[in-house]
Amino acid sequence: MKWLTEITFYGLFAAFVGVFSAWPDYQLVAADRAIVSVVFSHAGQRVGDCRILTQDELNELPPNMRTMNDCPRERHPVRVLLRSDSETLYDATLQPSGIWADGKSNIYKRVEVQAGTHQLFVGVSDSGDDAGFDYEQSSVVDLVPGRNLIVQFDEQSQQIIIR
Amino acid sequence: MIERVHRIGQGMFLALQKPMSRAFESTANPLNHLGVLTIFFLWVVLISGIWLLIFFSTSVSGAFDSVEYLTNEQWYLGGVMRSLHRYASDAAIVTIFVHILREFMFNHYRRNRWFTWVSGVPLVWIIFPLGITGYWLVWDELAQYVAISSAELMDSIPIFTDSMAGNFLNDDLVSDRFFTLMAFFHLIGMPIFLVFGIWLHVFRLTSPRINPPRRMMAATLLCLLVLSAVYPAVSHEQADLAMTPMVLRLDWFYLHFYPLIQITSPGWVWLMLIATSGVIVIAPWAPREKAESPALVTLDYCNGCERCVDDCPFGAVEMVPRTDDTNYSHQAEVDPDLCTSCGICVGACPTATPFRSRGDLVPGIDLPDRSAATLRDEIVAADEQGATPRVLVFGCRDDRQLRDLQEAGARCIPVNCVGQLPPSYIDFALSRDHADGIMLLGCENGLCTYRFGANWTEQRLARQRDPMVRRRVDLSRVALGWQAPWSGCRNAVDKYKEFTASLAK
Repeated sequence: MKWLTEITFYGLFAAFVGVFSAWPDYQLVAADRAIVSVVFSHAGQRVGDCRILTQDELNELPPNMRTMNDCPRERHPVRVLLRSDSETLYDATLQPSGIWADGKSNIYKRVEVQAGTHQLFVGVSDSGDDAGFDYEQSSVVDLVPGRNLIVQFDEQSQQIIIR
Repeated sequence: MIERVHRIGQGMFLALQKPMSRAFESTANPLNHLGVLTIFFLWVVLISGIWLLIFFSTSVSGAFDSVEYLTNEQWYLGGVMRSLHRYASDAAIVTIFVHILREFMFNHYRRNRWFTWVSGVPLVWIIFPLGITGYWLVWDELAQYVAISSAELMDSIPIFTDSMAGNFLNDDLVSDRFFTLMAFFHLIGMPIFLVFGIWLHVFRLTSPRINPPRRMMAATLLCLLVLSAVYPAVSHEQADLAMTPMVLRLDWFYLHFYPLIQITSPGWVWLMLIATSGVIVIAPWAPREKAESPALVTLDYCNGCERCVDDCPFGAVEMVPRTDDTNYSHQAEVDPDLCTSCGICVGACPTATPFRSRGDLVPGIDLPDRSAATLRDEIVAADEQGATPRVLVFGCRDDRQLRDLQEAGARCIPVNCVGQLPPSYIDFALSRDHADGIMLLGCENGLCTYRFGANWTEQRLARQRDPMVRRRVDLSRVALGWQAPWSGCRNAVDKYKEFTASLAK
């Protein structure tokens, strides 16, 4: 009897470990949904124009710091808009990183959408001008359930890429 | 308030302990060995992990295939090892959680035990990433989910310039070097911190146990092996970063908080984890337990025998060179920061004898708040009370059953820990006819607030440990009120009634 009770306790412990090591299932994304991930780092334009220093101003500077241009460090925030058909999925203004606000604006956003064919529009503005977008990309995408569509900004070509 | 929570928790644990005590002796009850069981599970994890490492390929294309080979082709050994690796890791989380809960409920975390309690928190912070990085290495859909979610967690810490989650946008971005890095963390980096953390955790304990009893090791290993054979651990589909896994079989022991990253936000998850850890860290001082005077050494009576040093459960007593002009070479010295005022050192002191006829009863080491002289006075005073047979109960003040015994009419003398009672006091009470029988009430092995109180008492009564009970003491007139291999006790009140009846015959 004592043996039986001991075996029962160890059996219950093993069952508890076994069951909760893989159950219940976790539904990460619904069966008819897909994901659009907007992921990139992009530096907004500087808040002011660079100024060419006069010769007198240059002379006042230490020799190792004599550069012609005096540029403000601060950058504009980057605005990102993601629209599927007529529905806005994401619209955010991202502040530049760094304590002097002179770094890149980082975006990482995963948005769930209904699977199917969609007209996708992505707009990025980095000049602080809210009237329009400095970069735009529009594309018809066919999203199968579970698809992870990536939206990026290519710094070399200065283009939005949807893939 | 906190005492009420403790009482409720203790009641729950004792309710669980009751049916378990039918199957296990106290020395073999898993509930009394949760810390060392965790260490044993980590041994199983280590050994099974070494086998997995031999066949594991640290590359994007090879990681999943090598685990699949172990699981399917080499199922009879590699598959079993993989399952053991996983289930032992999960079992460790169960024992850690119950260990924390139990130590909290039995108030084993406040006063001078704060260090052991607080040093357990970093251990948890090491064990979880250790388990979680193990899931990355399989590189299946679950690994993909864990990798991306973990990266999202890291990204929410505002110190990184580029997004770590951006490294998991497509399969081309994940390199072999990433697997080498993860394997380093999982196999070398974190285990080193874990070993150091375990050492730190038991650093202030005297004679810390590292392994559970052999029978328990065999039983738990067997039950994990059976589980591995019946329900082997398997992978999800291979990771594909172009797709998002839809349904996952999460390991809830390690990944229970991961869905919260999606449901709330990574920032909230950090807040929750840090707040939970913070509450645990400050628990010993919220509220602070009333401090008692530490043990006091009286050099006139200390002969430097070292028994108090041997018996102190927290290493609070040490021997130092003699400071007076006696012939003894050493004397005991108490570190008040480590002393818990349990009185076990008094129980170990050969000069703590109530038979002393000359002068006041001042032993070499004593508790100012619960002195050896007071205990003797209470034995003499208890003589006048109650009916026959006169059973005198020396009860640990932390034992819930002491109140039950008092309500049942027993003559009780509370002690800080049952280990505080020198065996000579039992002899004194019986031989001077202050009692017909003695019952000792304490917490069973593994539950003792001061770790060794019940253990040392059992050994002193069995004449295996100094100071031993004298041979003239009739042990049939001494009963133990806790579950021990030879006490035959399941319930203290029943034991008291049974013992009283046996003395009356």
